[in-house]
Amino acid sequence: MSDPYQILGVPKTAAQEDIKKSYRKLAKKYHPDLNPGNKEAEKKFKEVSHAFDQIGTDEARAKFDRGEEFEQQNQRRGGPSFYDTQHEGGRYSYSFGDEMGGADFFENLFGGARHRDINFPGEDINYKMDVDFREAALGAEKVITLADGKNLRVKIPAGIDSGKKLRFKGKGHPGVGQGAAGDAYVEINVKPLEGFTRKGKDILSELPISFLDAITGGEIEVPTIDGNIMMKIPAGVSTGTKLRIKGRGAGPADNRGHQIVVLKIVMPKNIDPALKEAALNLKDQFNYNPRMQ
Amino acid sequence: MERKQIEDASKICGVPCEIITRFIEEEWILPVDQTTPFLDSEDMARIKLIWELSNEFGVNDEAMPIILHLLDQLNRMHLELERFRIH
Repeated sequence: MSDPYQILGVPKTAAQEDIKKSYRKLAKKYHPDLNPGNKEAEKKFKEVSHAFDQIGTDEARAKFDRGEEFEQQNQRRGGPSFYDTQHEGGRYSYSFGDEMGGADFFENLFGGARHRDINFPGEDINYKMDVDFREAALGAEKVITLADGKNLRVKIPAGIDSGKKLRFKGKGHPGVGQGAAGDAYVEINVKPLEGFTRKGKDILSELPISFLDAITGGEIEVPTIDGNIMMKIPAGVSTGTKLRIKGRGAGPADNRGHQIVVLKIVMPKNIDPALKEAALNLKDQFNYNPRMQ
Repeated sequence: MERKQIEDASKICGVPCEIITRFIEEEWILPVDQTTPFLDSEDMARIKLIWELSNEFGVNDEAMPIILHLLDQLNRMHLELERFRIH
């Protein structure tokens, strides 16, 4: 025999008021009229109700605690739920329609439209899709599986940003009657790529260079989303100098944005004594005040 | 459909006769046959529900007709939507 205390989630020492409180909470959760058609909830509700019948009053509880057999006096906990008596057409649910003059429910709801003429558009469905940084910049084609199990080919336009929604007309829930099907919306989430960020059609990246390269300039290898390329750096650049690589940004092949490379001068981790001495010699000869420029 | 008098319905539902009579007077229960009155399975399921709501969930007499009205409205909508689905 199942333990009513356990079913109601209360200790054997619980006050009568706490038993009632717990029963109310569980009964509200599983009540068949609050869970129409849910057989599992109905079963749970019967269990909870039966448990409450066993220990819900001082008298019943004392009997149970003495180990006496519980006798159900009536069928209050049995029989169909109220919803069960109504869901195939009951007097009470129809009397609601009668209160409105006996007219068709939807006729009232939709201001005189005839039942068979009522058309509802289907609901829209929202999907989310992760897209690689490079795919978002250059465009791609992907296939997603819709709620109805069908595949949808999604063409990702080059240069798309995170948060953009692509609309697929008629790929949402079907409509009612002559109502058109809803639309499917695919929201794009662009996955980050280390070393790169997007600003509209431009791609930003940071390039660490040595102070020697900053002085002399030269050619330095730079990563782009198309692979590494050699970039010319003019002599005398500073941290924060922006250099533009044309046509290496996001967008369609014939109209791509640019890659903006932001330079960052990085000093060697350890300053060799010889380097320090060389710098001192240079300082004597070429010192300048950057705060006065 | 089997119909019961209040006394029989009271035994089946575990709800006292005078309470059922009050439910009828309040028009929360509209017996299928109002002259005797006779109650059918719909009435009895509703009596049990009202009893649970008032006796176990603490719904008061002011709130009861509102809850029942909304419930009837909801059940009616379920039915109508089901009809749409089938059509």
